[in-house]
Amino acid sequence: MKNVRKLMLAAGSIGILALALSGQALAAGPTCAGGTIKVGAVSTVTGPIDFSEVPKATQAAFDQINAAGGVNGCKIDYTISDDKADPQVAAQAARDLIDNKEVVAIVGGASLLECAVNGPTYKRKNVLDIPGVGVDAACFNSPNIAPVNAGPFTMTTAVSYFGARSLNVKKLCAVIGIIGGTDEAYKTALSNWEKITGQKLHMIDLSMTPGGDLTPYVIKVRDAGCDAVVTNHIEPGVVQWIKTADAQKVTGISWLFLSPAYTEQVAKALADTNQPVYASVEWEPFTEPNSEANKGWLASMNAAKRPLTAFSQGGYLAAQVFVEVLKKIDGPVTRGTVTSALLTMQPIGVALNGSAWVFGSGATHSPMQATKVVKLDHGTWKIATPSWVVLPPL
Amino acid sequence: MKRASFRSASVIVAAAMVAGAIITGLLPGYWTYLATSVLISAVALQSIGLVAGRTGMIALCQMSFAGVGAWTVGYLNVGGAPGNLPVWIFIGGLAAVPFGVAIGLPALRLRGINLAIVTLGFATAFDAILASITFPGQTKFIAVPRPEIFDSDGGYFIFVLIFYVFLAVGLEFLIRTRLGAIWLAVRHSERAAAAHGISIPGAKLSAFAISAFIAGISGGLLAGYLGTLVADNFNMMQSLALFAVSTMTGAQFAEGALIGGILAVAFPEILRRLNLGQDIGNVLFAIGATQALSAGESMSETLRRKVRGWRKAAPAPLDAGARIAPPAAVPLRHGTALSTRGLTVRYGAVVALNHVDLAVPEGAVSGLIGPNGAGKSTLIDAVAGFLHSYSGSVELAGDAVDDQPAHVRARNGIRRTWQTTRIAPELTVGAYVRLAGGEMSDAEVQAILNWIECPHPDTLVASVDAGTRRLLDVAGVVAARPKVVLLDEPAAGQSYEETIKLGRHIAEIPKLFGCAVLLVEHDMDLVRAACSEITVLDFGRVIAAGAPAVVLEDPRVRKAYLGIEEGNAAA
Amino acid sequence: MNGLLTSAVAGLTAGGAYGLLGVCAVFTYRLVAVVNFTSAAIGTAGTFVLVVLNEAGIPLFPAVLCGLVAGVIAGVAIGLVMTKWFAESNASTKAAVTVALLVGIVAIGLRLTGGQHPHHFPDLFSGSAMRLAGVELTISSLLTIGLGVAFTILADVLLSRTRMGLHLRALSERPMAAELIGVPVQFLSILVWGITGAVTAFSLMIIAPQRSPDFMSLSLLVVPALAAALIGLFRSFWMTLIGGILIGVVEGMTSVIGGLNQYRGAVPFLIILAVMLWLQRGARWDEAR
Repeated sequence: MKNVRKLMLAAGSIGILALALSGQALAAGPTCAGGTIKVGAVSTVTGPIDFSEVPKATQAAFDQINAAGGVNGCKIDYTISDDKADPQVAAQAARDLIDNKEVVAIVGGASLLECAVNGPTYKRKNVLDIPGVGVDAACFNSPNIAPVNAGPFTMTTAVSYFGARSLNVKKLCAVIGIIGGTDEAYKTALSNWEKITGQKLHMIDLSMTPGGDLTPYVIKVRDAGCDAVVTNHIEPGVVQWIKTADAQKVTGISWLFLSPAYTEQVAKALADTNQPVYASVEWEPFTEPNSEANKGWLASMNAAKRPLTAFSQGGYLAAQVFVEVLKKIDGPVTRGTVTSALLTMQPIGVALNGSAWVFGSGATHSPMQATKVVKLDHGTWKIATPSWVVLPPL
Repeated sequence: MKRASFRSASVIVAAAMVAGAIITGLLPGYWTYLATSVLISAVALQSIGLVAGRTGMIALCQMSFAGVGAWTVGYLNVGGAPGNLPVWIFIGGLAAVPFGVAIGLPALRLRGINLAIVTLGFATAFDAILASITFPGQTKFIAVPRPEIFDSDGGYFIFVLIFYVFLAVGLEFLIRTRLGAIWLAVRHSERAAAAHGISIPGAKLSAFAISAFIAGISGGLLAGYLGTLVADNFNMMQSLALFAVSTMTGAQFAEGALIGGILAVAFPEILRRLNLGQDIGNVLFAIGATQALSAGESMSETLRRKVRGWRKAAPAPLDAGARIAPPAAVPLRHGTALSTRGLTVRYGAVVALNHVDLAVPEGAVSGLIGPNGAGKSTLIDAVAGFLHSYSGSVELAGDAVDDQPAHVRARNGIRRTWQTTRIAPELTVGAYVRLAGGEMSDAEVQAILNWIECPHPDTLVASVDAGTRRLLDVAGVVAARPKVVLLDEPAAGQSYEETIKLGRHIAEIPKLFGCAVLLVEHDMDLVRAACSEITVLDFGRVIAAGAPAVVLEDPRVRKAYLGIEEGNAAA
Repeated sequence: MNGLLTSAVAGLTAGGAYGLLGVCAVFTYRLVAVVNFTSAAIGTAGTFVLVVLNEAGIPLFPAVLCGLVAGVIAGVAIGLVMTKWFAESNASTKAAVTVALLVGIVAIGLRLTGGQHPHHFPDLFSGSAMRLAGVELTISSLLTIGLGVAFTILADVLLSRTRMGLHLRALSERPMAAELIGVPVQFLSILVWGITGAVTAFSLMIIAPQRSPDFMSLSLLVVPALAAALIGLFRSFWMTLIGGILIGVVEGMTSVIGGLNQYRGAVPFLIILAVMLWLQRGARWDEAR
């Protein structure tokens, strides 16, 4: 307990210092009526998956900023709404945040479907959304949403790019499960890879359904003679896939997964396998506590006793970039000023990712374009790419 | 009947106008937004209420139908189809109909539970397909546009309200037609419905088609409401939850659908305000539905019963002035109305009927008697077409009917009653007579009911005692004026006086309605009073036939049957 | 062609699971006259008990036992609901009750077992048994099919050859009459619920590592299971087993047919529909009504 307080104080003093510095740079800081800035998030907490770690990390970051005096004296009042992965509930939650809570922006959410459901609402109401972890395709393809992660589609391109560049893959196969209308987004991601590398995909299968038996697919990629297979399984599927490959005694194929594979639970569940398993990572690998880039996040999460996972990196990062933008507002913080500040902002360098984050005025936003790749090594994830793999522009 | 339809229709319209004024005029935007959601859910609930609550089929794919409607609206929008949202929503509803019929088709033959599995299978399959198709226009931010005057929250609420009122009023009229009665009859007993000449496949298909249409509309409304949709709006768990809610509130009633809609929207709202997980909603729906099923009564049925209880103060007086003369007598035909030749029914090794030859003459009441297990009810089942197979033949006025299914035999003139009454209790007495007898004037219905001394046509069957229901059974079969009426122990459970009266009425049937009657009965007083000739069955064989006085004195009959019976009666 | 055979064999694993769960469903239906939509959910509950205990460091064998006991408890709990409140209800109502319960159980199950990380499902039987058409048939998938066959034989013999089976059949067909002639109806029903709870739990323990191991996906295995039972017309254990395997095999085969990819999910459904319509050509009257 004492330690925590000490850390909080430390974090607080850093915050004050930062505030003082920014205060000097600008003539006047942001002001707020009533002393609070209302911010919300719509996240999947109950239902098929629990993403609450993301907004809870955002909450922790905001709490620490508040404890250190807030943003130019304004406390951030943060509300997390559960959507149960139910579109109806997600829509209701967003309207509640916008109409009743009168939030100035949506920050740090992570939901299976929130972007797709609420994108039109945000546009109608002129609210901007900064998801901590964007999941569905609309998060990376909407005028009013800009996540702080690269997301599954950019990651598909990036991990395939890594395969071609570093693993010398000649026959890349893609086995993608399409849920929630992500068909077009994955096809675009794969064709982007073809454009960047000038290679052709060896085989593509978009028929996988969640929860089904994977044996036919493992057999299919084996018989097709793939060197590497990129696949978009989420956590349980990753374990199931590798176990199926082991059961079928498949060898000589590199398995390229996306960021959901990168958890300690997956590493533990697959401790016995000899399959070459790779995962692309959204941010500086969280399993590297000594990394310089992770410092701020680590201090914040340890102080708040939040778990150290990729999810909490996303939530933390969303809070950080949002507060950066808030600080630059000169005058009252309202939905209008926050929106225009985000639309006109300069890119912010993000240590947690090799790219710079920016909202900006584009029709769609997918600012993060870099990944690191980790490889499974007997129950632990080891970094396979010490430096960031940045996708070259098309 | 019409009056009742107009009455409830005007109640709905008035309530909608008041609600519309209050909600758009007084409540803030957010509440208007929620109220819109309530109405859209209520439309979806009405669709499942029709097929599950009213027709008794467990349908677990309603949201898939809604998905068809929504996606159709999306395609029409992106494709720049002529017209605007209301037109597209209507087309979306129509697009769902073929799916409803396609799912309904197996329902024609499958029993209720199997249908539940098939619909669940369809929902799973549809999930997989829909999940792979992005909602049209989503990637290009083409939201489904609302008509200009309905663009605001309040405006769109009014827009949805108009649709809701149209559907609710339409359903109020529909459920009071013969089709509405048919659905209830099918839910209560498929056999009894078929015995009224109702085509069970037709009834189920119509229910499925109309319910798919309504579900499709709800999907279209949702598309306009949210602008863009995701597959999860329509996934299988949504359909299952919808089923639970509709079971809990009784979505076959307008108020049940509305209560369900309110719950579906209020739960997330309340849970969010209490800072509880959203999953608790589904648990509560499951408990509520289980409770409703165990009580045999949904929320709206409880509500209706209570309201009826308060109103009960003045029961509808029997229309004393309407002591109309009995229906006009019908000229009698001559010859044999119904005959069986060598009718044989086997259940495995047991021979239930063994080469039975039986003739029911026109214009008369014939009796069929025999000890328990003699095969009397089996004979009725075989003649009316309710057995999978029998050998020998059944002829109606000289024409073989063996290849006709039960409902066709009923339409062609073989009507039957059942040992236990199978009238859907939700019907009114008048609606039941019309269900059984086809369309007829109010005076005609009243005349038949007066003849057999049944209560006022507007009386609910649920509030009629068992003895009167047996009379109503008889009223139903004769109202159709078939060639032959098969009465299966109509006096069972009746008092002595009632039995005597019933005997008199049965004896009048040939003269008044032109039907030949085959009366299966244990009560010898009734048989003696009503029948002009008697056939005796024992162990599936005919052991005697002829005039009552002769047959009942036959020593074989006395030995097989009457001796024991009389002995028992004396004891 | 070879690809088709390979993928068909690959579908055997899933097929065995469907068949086994289908046989359990028929067993329940024939003995207590309930089409149980919660059956897979009951088994899933037992399986998760095993997983949680195993994760907590309890060795596999006692954890499996605890999981089976949990399956029995879950089965008996549902059984108590059905026998206490719905003994006199018709088959449709009973099915509707289990559908409603499924909605609640999935919500509770997800709440208790959910979260963002999957649980680690121990392989009860790991390793490969044989190679067929270029596919490794794992011990667990063969065991699933074997268990299906064993349970089919057992159920068949129990129902048609033993006195207890006679009692049990009387129980489902005429519960009131059975009670009158001294069959301990309540006890036997609960026994049946308990047994099916244990068997489905064991089945799911074997199947789960091969499937997406979250509570909802596993609970929804009831859909292909009931479809298989439908192919057996809820009467024949053998037809059910064969039906289940057929669904799995066809599902496997569709994964290699290019054009069908997107509509793969619909194929098993269409097969069930076709089989159903063929099997039930004549008009049927619902005995209960």
